[in-house]
Formats: sequence, C-alpha cells, structure tokens
Amino acid sequence: MDILADVLTTMLSQLQKPTLAFLIGGMAIAAMGSKLEVPEPVYKFIVMLLLLKVGIGAGISVREANLAELAVPAIGAALVGITIVLLGRATLARLKGVSQIDGIATAGLFGAVSASTLAAGMAVLDDEGIAYEGFIGALYPFMDLAALMTAIVLARMAAERKAAAAVQAGGTATLQEAPAPSGLDTQMLKSILIDTLRSPAVSALILGLALGLLGRPDSVYQSFYEPLFRGLLSVLMLVMGIEAWQRLGELRRVAHAYVGYGLVAPLIHGALGFGVGLIAHQLTGFSAGGTVLLAVMAASSSDISGPPTLRAALPEANPSSYIGTSTGLGTPIAILSIPMWVALADIFIGL
Amino acid sequence: MHKATKLVIITERAILEGVAALIEAGGATGHTHVEAGGRGSRGKRSTVRPGISGVLGNVKIEAIVDSHAKAEAILNSVSERYFEHYSGIAYVEEVEILRPHKFEV
Repeated sequence: MDILADVLTTMLSQLQKPTLAFLIGGMAIAAMGSKLEVPEPVYKFIVMLLLLKVGIGAGISVREANLAELAVPAIGAALVGITIVLLGRATLARLKGVSQIDGIATAGLFGAVSASTLAAGMAVLDDEGIAYEGFIGALYPFMDLAALMTAIVLARMAAERKAAAAVQAGGTATLQEAPAPSGLDTQMLKSILIDTLRSPAVSALILGLALGLLGRPDSVYQSFYEPLFRGLLSVLMLVMGIEAWQRLGELRRVAHAYVGYGLVAPLIHGALGFGVGLIAHQLTGFSAGGTVLLAVMAASSSDISGPPTLRAALPEANPSSYIGTSTGLGTPIAILSIPMWVALADIFIGL
Repeated sequence: MHKATKLVIITERAILEGVAALIEAGGATGHTHVEAGGRGSRGKRSTVRPGISGVLGNVKIEAIVDSHAKAEAILNSVSERYFEHYSGIAYVEEVEILRPHKFEV
C-alpha cells in the first residue's frame, strides 16, 4: 500500500507541472467547445525543432559514448516495438468487432514512438534533476521502425489471406486471380523502410543526430534549442490535449474493444519498456532515467508521423480506429503515466 | 472561347500524389489542388481540423482535358485504384477555356 500511496502522491504533484498541466488544459478547453487552435505549420515546426534538439543532443553524446553501451538498449528498443505489435495482434486484433487489419494497424501505432511524449518524458526528468543517457533519443527510430514495419507486414499478410479466402469462397475465380503470396517481397519492405526514414519525424531526428555527431553544433544547441525546448513543448502539449479530445469522437464509430485497448495498452507497453530498461541496467549499467524514457517510448503511440505511413501502406485499414485509439486515448494515457515510471524507477533502481 | 472538359476529384490528402500521377498518365497536361473540407456520406471532414497527422485532411483536385472521353477514362482509373478503400467524390463539368493549346498533349 505504501508503494501505491507513493506512486499516487508523485503523480498528483506531477499533474501540476507544466508538461502535464498544459495537456490537461488543452483537453479541458476542447471539451468546452473552445475554438482555440494552433495552426498546422506552427505545430509541425515545433515538432521539427523538438526532434532536432533530441537528435542533436543524442548525436553530441554518442560522440563520447561507447557504442556497445548503445547496442543493448537499441536492440531492446527494437524488440519492444516488435513485441508490442505481436501482442496487439494476439489481443486487440482478435476481439469482437475489430477487423484483424485495423487491430494490427492500431498496434503498429502503439508500438511506434511519439516525439511529443518522449520530449515530455525528458522534460519531466530534467525538472526532477534525474540524469539519463544523452543518446536515448537515438533509440527512437529503432523502436518506431521496428513497430511500423512489423505491423505493415503482418497486416498485409492478413489482407492477402482475407483476399485469398474471398476468392475461394467466390468459387468461380481462377487461381490466377488470387494475389500471389510473393506480394510481400523485399521490394515492398524496402519501400516501406525508405518511406519511414523519409517521414518528417524520423528525418528531423536523423538529421539532428548527424549534425550532433559530425558537426559541432554545441553553441547553437546551448543558446537556441535547449532554452526553447520547454516553452515549445508546452505549446505542443496544448495541441496534443485539444487533438486528443477531438479524436475521441472517432471512437464512437468503432468497436468498444478499441477503448479498452487505448486505456490499458500504454501501461502494459510501458511496463515492457521498463523491464527491458531494467535488464539493460543489469547488463550495462543503463541509468534509472534511461529506463524511465524507454518505458515512456514504449508506452507512447505515434500521432503525427505514423498515421500517414499506415494510411498509404494499408488502404484497407480504417483510420478512424487507429487514429482515434492512438491520439484520443493512447497519447494522453502515455503522457499522464510518465510520473508513474519515475516513481517505479525510484523503487526498483533508486534515483 | 473553346469547349473543354474539367474533371474534379475530392478525396483524401493521403493519396494526392497517386491521383495526380493517374491524371497526368491519363493525358492531362497538369492539375490544380486545394485543401478541402465539408460534409459527406462518411461524416464531416474539416480543413481546420484535419488531425495532427494530416491523414484526415481532404483535397479537391481539378484538371482540364480536351475531351470528355479522356476525363472519363481518368476518373475510372482513379476510382478503380483508390475508391474501394479511400473516400472520394468525382465528377466532370463542361467548361469554356481561353487558350486551348495549354490543354493539348
């Protein structure tokens, strides 16, 4: 009971901190029907700056880091991304009223990473003065790519099985009309990989990494990106709050199973990330702050860069289901659970 | 003025590039697109709130071609390729244009 009380006290005091307060504020004014909005170019610019900052920070610290130290959490991050999708396929995608393709697409978004949630996690740790590995931002693409690619491959396989079954049920169709199982060739995987790498979020992060690693952007990092980080994040949290409330409406049109998944999955995924962080802590001395951020990344779901990738690669999947579940429920739950991971890290590793 | 045919496609922003490619492949010399919003059989779609990912945003794409048959063929190819899974409205209009040479391939 003591542990629970501890966690609850930490969470309550965290809710008043800027990151979470702005998110709740955004949800509240949207709930009241306010017309307040942040224009698209503004939040796209903010996301780009945040990811550049995360990337540059990671790049600068990778310069000094031992690559083996990075390898364990990177492999862990990719495995977490894949596991989340497999878990979603075994649970959500089998539930009543959920089409298998929609379920897998939703799990793909939940396995992918949200830049805003990761940035919020970093801000909470900074506020508390909790140290974490500088290279942590470099883990983002590992988890993000692993999850989206797994989801797209599994969903395409499900779609082809469905199409083949429909052809057989039709009876009159000839064999030639059945889609060849080779539809999942390396060509398709390559184009998904390239598309994901070229998406605005991953591009900005990789650009930042390269700048930090190869260039010497330390002065502009200190004078511009670092000081702007908090203020920009507060605006983005407002956007995420408003957006979450509006996208909740999408869920009225889909099965109840999505609501349950959106509420519970971020916590289970976060625990998975937290577990991997703990293992890395044992193996390579991965920090408590790093473990928290790995949990936050695993708990988060992609809102900005993931959906267009899925919409293009999986036309059959219903965007209302995955965007509603991810942006409407997954993201606010993931952001609001950040203090919980901090409290757990304090208990299991010690801060 | 000279007679020509304008085709109009209102669809998801996500497939703009693919639709534009089909329009050009069908013999149009170019196209125009604008962000679109409104209400249809699938519910309300707004330009102001297309979702932060942009996936829920819509566009209205127009192109002028020199024959009705060409316009119809383009719309058929777009419908066949996309409209099973993406929302779309498509129609043609007879229009009068000033400089016909701009629309001849």
